[in-house]
Amino acid sequence: MKKKAAGKFQLDCSVNGARVRREIAASRTMLEFLREDLGLKGTKEGCGEGECGACLILLDGRAVNSCLMMAAQAHGREIVTIEGIKGRDGGLHPIQKTFMEEGAVQCGFCIPGIIVAAEALLRRKPDATLEDIKLELTGNLCRCTGYEKILSAVELSRDELKKKGKR
Amino acid sequence: MRPELLVRPASLADLWKALPALPRDRRYLAGGTDLMIAAGHGHAGDCWVDISGLKELKSFRETSSSIFIGSGLTIAELAEKPAVKKWLPALALCAPHYASPSLRNMATIGGNAANGSPCADGVCALLSEKAEIVLGLKGAKRKMPLHSFFLAPKRTALKKDELILGFEVPKWRHVSAYEKLGPRSYFGISKVTVCVSAEISGGLVKEAVIACASVAPVPLLARKAAEFLYGRRLDEGTVSEAAALAESEASPITDTRSEAGYRKAMVRVLASRALSKLAA
Ligand SMILES: Cc1cc2nc3c(=O)[nH]c(=O)nc-3n(C[C@H](O)[C@H](O)[C@H](O)COP(=O)(O)OP(=O)(O)OC[C@H]3O[C@@H](n4cnc5c(N)ncnc54)[C@H](O)[C@@H]3O)c2cc1C
Ligand code: FES
Ligand code: FES
Repeated sequence: MKKKAAGKFQLDCSVNGARVRREIAASRTMLEFLREDLGLKGTKEGCGEGECGACLILLDGRAVNSCLMMAAQAHGREIVTIEGIKGRDGGLHPIQKTFMEEGAVQCGFCIPGIIVAAEALLRRKPDATLEDIKLELTGNLCRCTGYEKILSAVELSRDELKKKGKR
Repeated sequence: MRPELLVRPASLADLWKALPALPRDRRYLAGGTDLMIAAGHGHAGDCWVDISGLKELKSFRETSSSIFIGSGLTIAELAEKPAVKKWLPALALCAPHYASPSLRNMATIGGNAANGSPCADGVCALLSEKAEIVLGLKGAKRKMPLHSFFLAPKRTALKKDELILGFEVPKWRHVSAYEKLGPRSYFGISKVTVCVSAEISGGLVKEAVIACASVAPVPLLARKAAEFLYGRRLDEGTVSEAAALAESEASPITDTRSEAGYRKAMVRVLASRALSKLAA
Protein backbone atom coordinates (compact mmCIF):
# COMPACT_ATOMS: atom_id res chain seq x y z
CA MET A 1 0.00 0.00 0.00
CA LYS A 2 1.52 3.29 -1.02
CA LYS A 3 1.25 5.97 1.51
CA LYS A 4 -1.35 7.52 3.56
CA ALA A 5 0.25 9.73 6.20
CA ALA A 6 -2.33 12.52 6.36
CA GLY A 7 -2.21 14.54 3.22
CA LYS A 8 1.16 13.30 1.97
CA PHE A 9 2.21 10.94 -0.77
CA GLN A 10 5.60 9.38 -1.32
CA LEU A 11 6.12 9.83 -5.05
CA ASP A 12 8.76 7.99 -7.03
CA CYS A 13 8.76 8.62 -10.76
CA SER A 14 10.94 9.76 -13.61
CA VAL A 15 10.74 13.31 -14.96
CA ASN A 16 12.61 14.13 -18.15
CA GLY A 17 14.91 11.20 -17.62
CA ALA A 18 15.80 11.93 -14.00
CA ARG A 19 14.48 9.97 -11.06
CA VAL A 20 12.37 12.08 -8.71
CA ARG A 21 11.65 10.83 -5.19
CA ARG A 22 9.67 13.23 -3.05
CA GLU A 23 7.06 13.56 -0.44
CA ILE A 24 4.30 15.63 -2.00
CA ALA A 25 0.90 16.91 -0.93
CA ALA A 26 -1.52 14.13 -1.87
CA SER A 27 -3.94 16.66 -3.33
CA ARG A 28 -1.44 17.93 -5.92
CA THR A 29 -2.35 17.69 -9.58
CA MET A 30 0.43 16.70 -11.97
CA LEU A 31 0.34 20.23 -13.39
CA GLU A 32 0.84 21.80 -9.96
CA PHE A 33 3.58 19.34 -9.11
CA LEU A 34 5.51 20.18 -12.28
CA ARG A 35 5.11 23.93 -12.08
CA GLU A 36 5.15 24.57 -8.36
CA ASP A 37 7.18 21.75 -6.84
CA LEU A 38 9.66 21.15 -9.65
CA GLY A 39 9.66 24.66 -11.13
CA LEU A 40 9.07 23.34 -14.63
CA LYS A 41 7.02 26.21 -15.98
CA GLY A 42 6.92 25.17 -19.61
CA THR A 43 3.71 23.20 -19.05
CA LYS A 44 0.85 25.70 -19.00
CA GLU A 45 -2.55 25.88 -17.41
CA GLY A 46 -5.15 27.19 -19.82
CA CYS A 47 -8.57 25.92 -18.83
CA GLY A 48 -7.81 23.42 -16.08
CA GLU A 49 -10.66 21.27 -17.41
CA GLY A 50 -9.29 19.18 -20.24
CA GLU A 51 -10.52 21.47 -23.01
CA CYS A 52 -7.44 23.32 -24.27
CA GLY A 53 -4.38 21.04 -24.24
CA ALA A 54 -1.94 23.69 -22.92
CA CYS A 55 -1.01 21.29 -20.10
CA LEU A 56 -0.08 18.25 -22.19
CA ILE A 57 2.81 16.09 -21.06
CA LEU A 58 3.96 12.61 -22.06
CA LEU A 59 3.16 9.81 -19.62
CA ASP A 60 4.99 6.65 -20.64
CA GLY A 61 5.16 8.14 -24.12
CA ARG A 62 1.49 9.05 -24.46
CA ALA A 63 0.15 12.60 -24.35
CA VAL A 64 -2.10 13.29 -21.35
CA ASN A 65 -3.69 16.40 -19.83
CA SER A 66 -1.69 17.10 -16.66
CA CYS A 67 -4.47 19.33 -15.30
CA LEU A 68 -6.75 16.30 -14.93
CA MET A 69 -4.15 13.99 -13.49
CA MET A 70 -3.10 13.62 -9.88
CA ALA A 71 0.66 13.76 -9.32
CA ALA A 72 0.42 10.51 -7.36
CA GLN A 73 -0.79 8.74 -10.48
CA ALA A 74 2.69 9.11 -11.97
CA HIS A 75 4.09 6.78 -9.31
CA GLY A 76 6.43 4.32 -10.99
CA ARG A 77 5.98 5.95 -14.38
CA GLU A 78 7.85 8.17 -16.80
CA ILE A 79 6.97 11.79 -17.39
CA VAL A 80 8.35 13.95 -20.17
CA THR A 81 7.49 17.65 -20.25
CA ILE A 82 8.25 20.24 -22.92
CA GLU A 83 11.56 20.84 -21.12
CA GLY A 84 12.48 17.22 -21.83
CA ILE A 85 11.74 17.39 -25.53
CA LYS A 86 15.16 18.04 -27.00
CA GLY A 87 17.20 17.50 -30.10
CA ARG A 88 19.92 14.87 -30.09
CA ASP A 89 22.55 17.50 -29.37
CA GLY A 90 20.60 18.60 -26.29
CA GLY A 91 19.48 21.79 -28.03
CA LEU A 92 16.13 22.52 -29.60
CA HIS A 93 14.14 19.61 -30.96
CA PRO A 94 13.51 19.66 -34.74
CA ILE A 95 9.81 20.32 -34.07
CA GLN A 96 10.70 23.36 -31.95
CA LYS A 97 13.08 24.67 -34.60
CA THR A 98 10.49 24.28 -37.30
CA PHE A 99 7.84 26.09 -35.27
CA MET A 100 10.23 29.02 -34.83
CA GLU A 101 11.35 29.11 -38.45
CA GLU A 102 7.79 28.92 -39.75
CA GLY A 103 6.45 31.61 -37.45
CA ALA A 104 3.96 29.13 -36.03
CA VAL A 105 4.26 30.74 -32.60
CA GLN A 106 2.65 33.99 -31.56
CA CYS A 107 2.05 34.46 -27.83
CA GLY A 108 3.31 30.92 -27.35
CA PHE A 109 0.99 29.89 -24.57
CA CYS A 110 -0.49 26.90 -26.39
CA ILE A 111 2.75 25.84 -28.05
CA PRO A 112 4.27 23.53 -25.38
CA GLY A 113 1.08 21.47 -25.46
CA ILE A 114 0.98 21.44 -29.23
CA ILE A 115 4.61 20.38 -29.51
CA VAL A 116 4.03 17.59 -27.00
CA ALA A 117 1.01 16.41 -29.02
CA ALA A 118 2.97 16.61 -32.27
CA GLU A 119 5.91 14.72 -30.77
CA ALA A 120 3.60 11.97 -29.49
CA LEU A 121 2.03 11.65 -32.94
CA LEU A 122 5.26 11.69 -34.93
CA ARG A 123 6.89 9.10 -32.67
CA ARG A 124 3.93 6.80 -33.15
CA LYS A 125 3.30 7.61 -36.77
CA PRO A 126 6.33 9.10 -38.54
CA ASP A 127 4.32 9.30 -41.79
CA ALA A 128 1.33 11.13 -40.30
CA THR A 129 -0.81 12.82 -42.94
CA LEU A 130 -2.27 16.31 -42.62
CA GLU A 131 -5.56 14.67 -41.63
CA ASP A 132 -3.79 12.67 -38.90
CA ILE A 133 -2.20 15.87 -37.63
CA LYS A 134 -5.53 17.71 -37.54
CA LEU A 135 -7.14 14.85 -35.62
CA GLU A 136 -4.25 14.64 -33.18
CA LEU A 137 -4.56 18.33 -32.42
CA THR A 138 -8.35 18.35 -31.84
CA GLY A 139 -7.70 18.78 -28.12
CA ASN A 140 -5.37 21.78 -28.52
CA LEU A 141 -6.69 25.31 -28.70
CA CYS A 142 -4.69 28.24 -30.00
CA ARG A 143 -6.09 31.76 -29.73
CA CYS A 144 -3.48 33.44 -31.92
CA THR A 145 -2.15 31.73 -35.00
CA GLY A 146 -5.32 30.49 -36.64
CA TYR A 147 -3.88 26.95 -36.92
CA GLU A 148 -2.71 27.06 -40.54
CA LYS A 149 0.87 27.76 -39.58
CA ILE A 150 0.77 25.26 -36.75
CA LEU A 151 -0.45 22.52 -39.06
CA SER A 152 2.13 23.27 -41.72
CA ALA A 153 4.89 23.45 -39.08
CA VAL A 154 3.96 19.96 -37.91
CA GLU A 155 4.01 18.72 -41.50
CA LEU A 156 7.44 20.25 -42.05
CA SER A 157 8.64 18.77 -38.75
CA ARG A 158 7.51 15.37 -39.93
CA ASP A 159 9.54 15.77 -43.14
CA GLU A 160 12.53 17.04 -41.20
CA LEU A 161 12.41 14.16 -38.71
CA LYS A 162 12.20 11.65 -41.50
CA LYS A 163 15.50 12.85 -42.90
CA LYS A 164 18.04 10.46 -41.55
CA GLY A 165 19.57 11.00 -38.16
CA LYS A 166 17.26 13.68 -36.85
CA ARG A 167 15.88 11.65 -34.00
CA MET B 1 -12.39 20.15 -3.90
CA ARG B 2 -9.74 17.51 -4.22
CA PRO B 3 -9.38 15.55 -0.97
CA GLU B 4 -6.29 15.67 1.21
CA LEU B 5 -6.01 11.92 1.23
CA LEU B 6 -5.08 9.73 -1.71
CA VAL B 7 -4.10 6.09 -1.54
CA ARG B 8 -2.73 3.93 -4.26
CA PRO B 9 -3.16 0.22 -3.62
CA ALA B 10 -0.69 -2.06 -5.38
CA SER B 11 -3.20 -4.82 -6.06
CA LEU B 12 -6.89 -5.61 -5.73
CA ALA B 13 -6.23 -7.66 -2.60
CA ASP B 14 -4.38 -4.69 -1.17
CA LEU B 15 -7.33 -2.45 -2.02
CA TRP B 16 -9.94 -4.59 -0.22
CA LYS B 17 -7.67 -4.76 2.81
CA ALA B 18 -7.13 -1.00 2.92
CA LEU B 19 -10.75 0.14 2.58
CA PRO B 20 -12.04 -0.33 6.17
CA ALA B 21 -9.41 2.06 7.55
CA LEU B 22 -10.26 4.85 5.09
CA PRO B 23 -12.73 7.74 5.56
CA ARG B 24 -16.27 6.64 4.68
CA ASP B 25 -16.77 9.19 1.91
CA ARG B 26 -14.26 7.75 -0.56
CA ARG B 27 -14.12 7.63 -4.35
CA TYR B 28 -12.26 5.56 -6.85
CA LEU B 29 -9.93 7.48 -9.15
CA ALA B 30 -9.30 5.94 -12.57
CA GLY B 31 -8.47 8.26 -15.48
CA GLY B 32 -9.72 11.25 -13.49
CA THR B 33 -11.36 12.92 -16.47
CA ASP B 34 -14.76 13.02 -14.79
CA LEU B 35 -13.72 13.00 -11.13
CA MET B 36 -11.23 15.88 -11.47
CA ILE B 37 -13.91 17.99 -13.14
CA ALA B 38 -16.38 17.11 -10.37
CA ALA B 39 -13.75 18.09 -7.78
CA GLY B 40 -13.39 21.45 -9.48
CA HIS B 41 -17.09 22.12 -8.97
CA GLY B 42 -17.59 21.00 -5.38
CA HIS B 43 -17.00 18.32 -2.78
CA ALA B 44 -15.79 15.05 -4.27
CA GLY B 45 -15.17 12.84 -1.27
CA ASP B 46 -12.71 12.85 1.64
CA CYS B 47 -10.41 10.27 0.15
CA TRP B 48 -9.53 9.01 -3.31
CA VAL B 49 -8.49 5.46 -3.97
CA ASP B 50 -6.33 5.51 -7.08
CA ILE B 51 -7.09 2.40 -9.12
CA SER B 52 -5.25 3.57 -12.23
CA GLY B 53 -2.22 1.42 -11.41
CA LEU B 54 -4.12 -1.85 -10.90
CA LYS B 55 -3.01 -4.42 -13.46
CA GLU B 56 -6.02 -6.61 -12.65
CA LEU B 57 -8.30 -3.97 -14.16
CA LYS B 58 -6.31 -3.81 -17.39
CA SER B 59 -6.95 -7.35 -18.50
CA PHE B 60 -8.25 -8.13 -21.95
CA ARG B 61 -9.24 -11.72 -22.63
CA GLU B 62 -10.68 -13.37 -25.67
CA THR B 63 -12.45 -16.74 -25.58
CA SER B 64 -14.18 -18.56 -28.41
CA SER B 65 -17.52 -16.97 -27.53
CA SER B 66 -16.79 -13.67 -25.78
CA ILE B 67 -14.39 -10.85 -25.08
CA PHE B 68 -13.66 -9.54 -21.61
CA ILE B 69 -12.58 -5.92 -21.34
CA GLY B 70 -11.00 -4.79 -18.07
CA SER B 71 -12.56 -1.63 -16.68
CA GLY B 72 -9.17 0.08 -16.39
CA LEU B 73 -8.39 -0.02 -20.09
CA THR B 74 -8.33 3.39 -21.69
CA ILE B 75 -10.25 4.26 -24.82
CA ALA B 76 -6.96 4.62 -26.71
CA GLU B 77 -5.74 1.20 -25.55
CA LEU B 78 -9.01 -0.39 -26.61
CA ALA B 79 -9.12 1.30 -29.99
CA GLU B 80 -5.68 -0.10 -30.82
CA LYS B 81 -6.59 -3.72 -30.19
CA PRO B 82 -7.11 -5.87 -33.29
CA ALA B 83 -9.77 -7.90 -31.45
CA VAL B 84 -11.74 -4.71 -30.79
CA LYS B 85 -11.63 -3.78 -34.46
CA LYS B 86 -12.76 -7.26 -35.38
CA TRP B 87 -15.39 -8.08 -32.76
CA LEU B 88 -16.43 -4.73 -31.31
CA PRO B 89 -16.84 -2.47 -34.33
CA ALA B 90 -19.12 -0.03 -32.48
CA LEU B 91 -16.51 0.56 -29.79
CA ALA B 92 -13.85 1.07 -32.45
CA LEU B 93 -16.10 3.48 -34.35
CA CYS B 94 -16.92 5.61 -31.31
CA ALA B 95 -13.27 6.12 -30.35
CA PRO B 96 -12.38 8.98 -32.72
CA HIS B 97 -15.48 10.82 -31.52
CA TYR B 98 -14.67 10.28 -27.86
CA ALA B 99 -13.17 13.40 -26.28
CA SER B 100 -9.67 14.29 -27.60
CA PRO B 101 -6.62 12.08 -28.30
CA SER B 102 -4.94 12.97 -24.99
CA LEU B 103 -8.15 12.46 -23.00
CA ARG B 104 -8.55 9.08 -24.68
CA ASN B 105 -5.14 8.18 -23.24
CA MET B 106 -6.55 8.80 -19.76
CA ALA B 107 -10.29 8.06 -19.86
CA THR B 108 -11.17 4.49 -18.93
CA ILE B 109 -14.14 2.48 -20.13
CA GLY B 110 -15.00 1.64 -16.52
CA GLY B 111 -15.07 5.32 -15.53
CA ASN B 112 -17.32 6.04 -18.49
CA ALA B 113 -19.94 3.63 -17.12
CA ALA B 114 -19.45 4.36 -13.40
CA ASN B 115 -19.98 8.05 -14.00
CA GLY B 116 -23.58 7.21 -14.91
CA SER B 117 -24.00 9.83 -17.63
CA PRO B 118 -26.57 9.22 -20.38
CA CYS B 119 -24.14 10.88 -22.83
CA ALA B 120 -21.30 8.36 -22.45
CA ASP B 121 -19.88 7.25 -25.80
CA GLY B 122 -18.19 4.04 -24.67
CA VAL B 123 -21.35 2.93 -22.89
CA CYS B 124 -23.50 3.63 -25.94
CA ALA B 125 -21.20 1.53 -28.14
CA LEU B 126 -21.02 -1.36 -25.67
CA LEU B 127 -24.79 -1.33 -25.18
CA SER B 128 -25.32 -1.86 -28.87
CA GLU B 129 -22.84 -4.75 -28.75
CA LYS B 130 -24.87 -6.53 -26.05
CA ALA B 131 -22.29 -6.12 -23.30
CA GLU B 132 -22.74 -7.29 -19.75
CA ILE B 133 -21.05 -5.48 -16.91
CA VAL B 134 -19.05 -7.36 -14.29
CA LEU B 135 -18.92 -5.93 -10.77
CA GLY B 136 -16.82 -6.99 -7.82
CA LEU B 137 -16.84 -6.32 -4.10
CA LYS B 138 -14.14 -8.13 -2.16
CA GLY B 139 -14.64 -11.80 -3.04
CA ALA B 140 -18.12 -11.36 -4.51
CA LYS B 141 -18.69 -10.95 -8.23
CA ARG B 142 -21.90 -10.24 -10.08
CA LYS B 143 -22.83 -9.66 -13.68
CA MET B 144 -25.78 -7.92 -15.29
CA PRO B 145 -26.82 -6.65 -18.69
CA LEU B 146 -25.19 -3.26 -19.15
CA HIS B 147 -28.53 -1.49 -19.67
CA SER B 148 -29.82 -2.53 -16.24
CA PHE B 149 -26.75 -0.99 -14.57
CA PHE B 150 -28.10 2.52 -15.14
CA LEU B 151 -30.87 3.52 -12.73
CA ALA B 152 -31.23 7.29 -13.13
CA PRO B 153 -29.01 10.20 -14.19
CA LYS B 154 -25.73 9.74 -12.28
CA ARG B 155 -27.17 6.74 -10.43
CA THR B 156 -25.98 3.23 -11.12
CA ALA B 157 -26.35 -0.21 -9.55
CA LEU B 158 -22.92 0.09 -7.88
CA LYS B 159 -23.01 -0.63 -4.16
CA LYS B 160 -20.72 1.12 -1.75
CA ASP B 161 -17.09 0.27 -2.59
CA GLU B 162 -18.14 -2.01 -5.42
CA LEU B 163 -15.82 -1.88 -8.42
CA ILE B 164 -16.56 -2.33 -12.07
CA LEU B 165 -14.18 -5.13 -12.98
CA GLY B 166 -15.00 -5.07 -16.65
CA PHE B 167 -17.37 -5.88 -19.47
CA GLU B 168 -18.12 -9.14 -21.12
CA VAL B 169 -19.21 -8.87 -24.72
CA PRO B 170 -20.44 -11.85 -26.71
CA LYS B 171 -18.85 -12.49 -30.05
CA TRP B 172 -21.52 -12.13 -32.69
CA ARG B 173 -21.05 -11.39 -36.36
CA HIS B 174 -22.36 -7.87 -36.47
CA VAL B 175 -21.70 -4.64 -38.29
CA SER B 176 -22.13 -1.28 -36.59
CA ALA B 177 -22.67 2.39 -37.32
CA TYR B 178 -21.99 5.19 -34.84
CA GLU B 179 -23.68 8.54 -35.42
CA LYS B 180 -22.91 11.31 -32.95
CA LEU B 181 -23.90 14.96 -33.02
CA GLY B 182 -21.80 17.20 -30.84
CA PRO B 183 -20.93 20.89 -30.81
CA ARG B 184 -18.38 20.24 -33.62
CA SER B 185 -17.23 17.30 -35.75
CA TYR B 186 -14.76 16.05 -33.16
CA PHE B 187 -14.15 16.63 -29.45
CA GLY B 188 -17.36 17.48 -27.68
CA ILE B 189 -19.89 15.77 -25.47
CA SER B 190 -22.80 14.33 -27.42
CA LYS B 191 -26.02 16.24 -28.00
CA VAL B 192 -27.54 13.11 -29.50
CA THR B 193 -25.94 9.80 -30.43
CA VAL B 194 -27.39 6.73 -32.10
CA CYS B 195 -25.39 3.54 -32.41
CA VAL B 196 -26.72 0.53 -34.29
CA SER B 197 -25.22 -2.95 -34.33
CA ALA B 198 -26.83 -5.61 -36.48
CA GLU B 199 -26.30 -9.05 -37.81
CA ILE B 200 -27.42 -9.19 -41.41
CA SER B 201 -27.65 -12.43 -43.26
CA GLY B 202 -28.86 -12.96 -46.80
CA GLY B 203 -29.85 -9.29 -46.87
CA LEU B 204 -32.18 -9.73 -43.89
CA VAL B 205 -31.71 -8.44 -40.36
CA LYS B 206 -31.20 -11.38 -38.02
CA GLU B 207 -30.72 -9.22 -34.99
CA ALA B 208 -30.34 -5.50 -34.32
CA VAL B 209 -29.57 -3.44 -31.24
CA ILE B 210 -30.10 0.31 -31.28
CA ALA B 211 -28.50 2.29 -28.46
CA CYS B 212 -29.01 6.03 -28.01
CA ALA B 213 -27.13 8.52 -25.84
CA SER B 214 -28.22 11.89 -24.43
CA VAL B 215 -31.91 11.37 -25.21
CA ALA B 216 -33.25 9.80 -21.99
CA PRO B 217 -32.38 9.87 -18.27
CA VAL B 218 -30.16 6.83 -18.84
CA PRO B 219 -28.46 5.34 -21.90
CA LEU B 220 -31.38 4.08 -23.98
CA LEU B 221 -32.10 0.93 -25.92
CA ALA B 222 -34.65 1.60 -28.65
CA ARG B 223 -36.25 -1.82 -28.40
CA LYS B 224 -39.35 -1.29 -30.53
CA ALA B 225 -37.28 -0.04 -33.42
CA ALA B 226 -34.86 -2.93 -33.08
CA GLU B 227 -37.64 -5.53 -32.92
CA PHE B 228 -39.33 -4.03 -35.93
CA LEU B 229 -36.19 -4.66 -37.97
CA TYR B 230 -36.16 -8.36 -37.27
CA GLY B 231 -36.32 -10.42 -40.47
CA ARG B 232 -36.55 -7.36 -42.69
CA ARG B 233 -34.49 -6.03 -45.53
CA LEU B 234 -32.99 -2.59 -44.82
CA ASP B 235 -34.79 -0.82 -47.65
CA GLU B 236 -35.87 2.79 -47.56
CA GLY B 237 -39.30 2.10 -46.09
CA THR B 238 -37.98 -0.13 -43.32
CA VAL B 239 -35.25 2.33 -42.43
CA SER B 240 -37.63 5.25 -42.17
CA GLU B 241 -40.19 3.31 -40.15
CA ALA B 242 -37.55 2.03 -37.72
CA ALA B 243 -36.08 5.53 -37.38
CA ALA B 244 -39.53 6.91 -36.54
CA LEU B 245 -39.99 4.23 -33.90
CA ALA B 246 -36.62 5.08 -32.36
CA GLU B 247 -37.66 8.72 -32.19
CA SER B 248 -40.87 7.75 -30.39
CA GLU B 249 -38.85 5.88 -27.77
CA ALA B 250 -36.63 8.86 -26.90
CA SER B 251 -37.56 11.20 -24.04
CA PRO B 252 -34.87 13.88 -24.06
CA ILE B 253 -34.67 17.01 -21.96
CA THR B 254 -33.44 20.51 -22.67
CA ASP B 255 -30.13 21.30 -20.98
CA THR B 256 -27.03 23.40 -21.62
CA ARG B 257 -25.94 21.16 -24.48
CA SER B 258 -29.09 20.99 -26.53
CA GLU B 259 -32.84 21.33 -26.73
CA ALA B 260 -35.39 18.54 -26.23
CA GLY B 261 -37.28 18.98 -29.52
CA TYR B 262 -34.10 19.09 -31.56
CA ARG B 263 -32.73 16.02 -29.82
CA LYS B 264 -35.89 14.04 -30.43
CA ALA B 265 -35.96 14.95 -34.12
CA MET B 266 -32.28 14.10 -34.46
CA VAL B 267 -32.81 10.58 -33.11
CA ARG B 268 -34.80 9.87 -36.25
CA VAL B 269 -32.21 11.49 -38.52
CA LEU B 270 -29.25 9.69 -36.93
CA ALA B 271 -31.04 6.33 -36.74
CA SER B 272 -31.89 6.62 -40.38
CA ARG B 273 -28.29 7.53 -41.28
CA ALA B 274 -26.92 4.64 -39.24
CA LEU B 275 -29.31 2.10 -40.74
CA SER B 276 -28.66 3.34 -44.26
CA LYS B 277 -24.93 2.85 -43.69
CA LEU B 278 -25.54 -0.73 -42.62
CA ALA B 279 -27.70 -1.31 -45.68
CA ALA B 280 -24.98 -0.09 -48.03
C1 LIG C 1 -13.09 17.87 -21.89
C2 LIG C 1 -13.79 16.55 -21.72
C3 LIG C 1 -14.39 15.94 -22.81
C4 LIG C 1 -15.04 14.72 -22.68
N1 LIG C 1 -15.60 14.16 -23.78
C5 LIG C 1 -16.24 12.97 -23.67
C6 LIG C 1 -16.81 12.36 -24.81
O1 LIG C 1 -16.72 12.86 -25.94
N2 LIG C 1 -17.47 11.18 -24.64
C7 LIG C 1 -17.59 10.58 -23.42
O2 LIG C 1 -18.20 9.52 -23.31
N3 LIG C 1 -17.04 11.15 -22.31
C8 LIG C 1 -16.37 12.32 -22.42
N4 LIG C 1 -15.82 12.90 -21.30
C9 LIG C 1 -16.04 12.26 -19.99
C10 LIG C 1 -14.96 11.30 -19.51
O3 LIG C 1 -13.75 11.50 -20.21
C11 LIG C 1 -15.37 9.83 -19.65
O4 LIG C 1 -16.60 9.59 -19.03
C12 LIG C 1 -14.31 8.89 -19.09
O5 LIG C 1 -14.44 7.62 -19.69
C13 LIG C 1 -14.34 8.72 -17.58
O6 LIG C 1 -13.36 7.76 -17.21
P1 LIG C 1 -12.18 8.09 -16.17
O7 LIG C 1 -11.33 6.88 -16.13
O8 LIG C 1 -11.53 9.35 -16.49
O9 LIG C 1 -13.06 8.20 -14.85
P2 LIG C 1 -12.78 8.94 -13.45
O10 LIG C 1 -12.93 10.39 -13.61
O11 LIG C 1 -11.54 8.44 -12.84
O12 LIG C 1 -14.02 8.35 -12.64
C14 LIG C 1 -15.35 8.71 -12.96
C15 LIG C 1 -16.29 8.13 -11.89
O13 LIG C 1 -16.32 6.72 -11.97
C16 LIG C 1 -15.87 6.10 -10.76
N5 LIG C 1 -15.07 4.96 -11.21
C17 LIG C 1 -14.05 4.98 -12.11
N6 LIG C 1 -13.63 3.74 -12.39
C18 LIG C 1 -14.41 2.90 -11.63
C19 LIG C 1 -14.47 1.48 -11.48
N7 LIG C 1 -13.65 0.65 -12.16
N8 LIG C 1 -15.40 0.96 -10.64
C20 LIG C 1 -16.24 1.76 -9.95
N9 LIG C 1 -16.23 3.12 -10.06
C21 LIG C 1 -15.32 3.66 -10.88
C22 LIG C 1 -15.12 7.17 -10.03
O14 LIG C 1 -15.18 6.99 -8.65
C23 LIG C 1 -15.85 8.43 -10.46
O15 LIG C 1 -17.00 8.60 -9.69
C24 LIG C 1 -15.13 14.10 -21.41
C25 LIG C 1 -14.50 14.69 -20.32
C26 LIG C 1 -13.83 15.90 -20.45
C27 LIG C 1 -13.15 16.51 -19.26
S1 FES D 1 -5.19 23.27 -18.83
FE1 FES D 1 -5.35 21.15 -19.12
S2 FES D 1 -6.55 21.04 -20.90
FE2 FES D 1 -6.58 23.15 -20.50
S1 FES E 1 0.23 31.13 -29.98
FE1 FES E 1 -1.04 32.20 -28.60
S2 FES E 1 -2.47 30.70 -27.99
FE2 FES E 1 -1.41 29.73 -29.56
